[in-house]
Amino acid sequence: MSVLLDVQELQTRFQVRKGYVYAVNGISFTLEEGETLAVVGESGCGKSVTMLSLVRLLPPAASIENGKVLLRGEDLLELNLRQLRDVRGGEVGMIFQDPMTSLNPFINIGTQMAEPLVYHRGMSKSDALARSAELLEMVGIPDGEARLREYPHQFSGGMRQRVMIAMSMSCEPAVLIADEPTTALDVTIQAQIVDLVKELRDRSGVAVIWITHDLSVVAGIADRVIVMYAGYIVEEAPVDALFEDPRHPYTVGLMGALPSLTGETGTRLTTIGGSPPDLIELPDFCPFHPRCPYAIDRCRKENPMLEPVAEASDRGHRAACWVDIRDVSVSSEAGVAAD
Amino acid sequence: MTTQEIAVTSEIEIAEASPTNLWRDALARLAANRLALVAILPIVLLFFIAAFGPYLTPYDFLAQDFTARLVSPSSEHWLGTDELGRDVFSRILYGARTAVSVGLVSTAISLVVGLVMGSLAGYLGGRVDMLVVWLTDVTRSMPALLLAIVINLTLKVPLEAWMEQMYLATKNTFFRQTMWVDLVLVFGALALIQWPGYARLIRGQILSIRSRNYVLAARALGMPTGRILTRYVIPNAMGPLIVAVSAGMGGAMVLESAFSFLGVGVQLPIPSWGKMISDGLRMWQTHPHLLVGPAVMMAVITVSFAWLGDGLNDALNPRQWGG
Repeated sequence: MSVLLDVQELQTRFQVRKGYVYAVNGISFTLEEGETLAVVGESGCGKSVTMLSLVRLLPPAASIENGKVLLRGEDLLELNLRQLRDVRGGEVGMIFQDPMTSLNPFINIGTQMAEPLVYHRGMSKSDALARSAELLEMVGIPDGEARLREYPHQFSGGMRQRVMIAMSMSCEPAVLIADEPTTALDVTIQAQIVDLVKELRDRSGVAVIWITHDLSVVAGIADRVIVMYAGYIVEEAPVDALFEDPRHPYTVGLMGALPSLTGETGTRLTTIGGSPPDLIELPDFCPFHPRCPYAIDRCRKENPMLEPVAEASDRGHRAACWVDIRDVSVSSEAGVAAD
Repeated sequence: MTTQEIAVTSEIEIAEASPTNLWRDALARLAANRLALVAILPIVLLFFIAAFGPYLTPYDFLAQDFTARLVSPSSEHWLGTDELGRDVFSRILYGARTAVSVGLVSTAISLVVGLVMGSLAGYLGGRVDMLVVWLTDVTRSMPALLLAIVINLTLKVPLEAWMEQMYLATKNTFFRQTMWVDLVLVFGALALIQWPGYARLIRGQILSIRSRNYVLAARALGMPTGRILTRYVIPNAMGPLIVAVSAGMGGAMVLESAFSFLGVGVQLPIPSWGKMISDGLRMWQTHPHLLVGPAVMMAVITVSFAWLGDGLNDALNPRQWGG
């Protein structure tokens, strides 16, 4: 497989009244053709800002300070607006968190779905409508042709997310960025949407970046996982490696907060005490150390780089931590729970 | 009343049975609003009179009958005559023309100016936004009537001189009709007073809609800015704007009457309700019919526009729908 998307040293910050908030701090990752990459982390860790930075859809206060976003070798950050529009929707499709507000309430579904086809593929309106009806059936909305004439408020949340997925996939993009697409939906619908994206991925070979804070979804869909914290990638690993052998204390903490179907019942889930740091300046320490049960002196003085982990580097497993947490048998549960 | 109720319920059924959209839903809700329905009648009548007034009037609005000056309402002159023997009823019907043309034209001008300024400010932001907001602040800080008087006093003479020049240059008799000067000045003054309101409303709407998810989704699909503005932003900003326009039409008519009342509005011989009221006021104790006719018309129309605006607000505001 070849590299489709290569993000290098991406740095994005927000201008606020008293300076800057550093949201994404020089992160690098790659996405291979047809691969599914999950990006996990808690709210405010920079997941969404990273993805919006890729196609420069950031709010006005945010600016990309540094980095490259190479899509098949072409730097998206260097494109002019017209070229960028061809990439958006054409090469890179996006789905968002809240399907209830992601469709224009004043335009019927058909017209809305036909727009990108007319714009990117140069189809005639009637061809685009016919294709839209097919797409609706493809994402599991029966009687697509009749439903094209309906308006967003006549669709349920799950259906609207299906429409959004159909729209984002309509021009056969190379990359689909899904920004917490299941967060606003209830659990049964979540599973359906995950299955739908999997099915579309397997059929079309699109590479998927799936942003979520739900590790159970990650296990079901991803090939590889990136764990983000405070605008840094703190761990990167193939999905099974991450679940079997997490190497960053933050990942361990996330796993601990996950209920298990097979483990002992009656045990408490652990939480990670404290809250993420304010990123008003770039830290010269490990941003996780105040919440970390493994923290040593070095963590307070130097920010660790993302480096291959011991004895598993050949699988592309990398983590940003000064401590090899396998060597330390801290009373981690106690330390975490005590906070 | 029963027929009206039937009409209302059937309207709602139609709206629910067929594929609906927001506009149709809003129409059904408007139809279910008694007050708004009642208000529509005088407004439709007003526009009808304005369009066909000359064919309905029993007398020419200028025809003076010195044998029948200041007569009280009778079968011959339904609302009596004024001090020059002109039929008051005919003049009220003609006055509807003034009111409607002032309402439509001045609202249209201020709406276009407000739409352009407000959209630019809301979408471009930054310095453009600051400039537009500053301009609206400056305009709104001046009392409306005072502003109109200043415009009338300073611009009327030069404009008339320019018209005369144009007539001499082109020999086109259009430029001899000085009543156009009055109308242009009144339209201009009203538009100048009203555009900041529309500009601010649209700016606020665009600022709020710009950050909606569907706009982000449209951008993520690579839609160009112009299309996003015309298909996503502006249609969604229309609701409050329609309400404001409805209220603004009534407001413009009242303002025009106020101008005429103060002598800076449409000058004779075009009848204007405000002018008729101010003339009638001098003799209201002896000849109240001169005052009652135009005053009642004015009141009915103003209240109607206010009720219609209210009804539209309820119909178009999603927060009022209650599921």
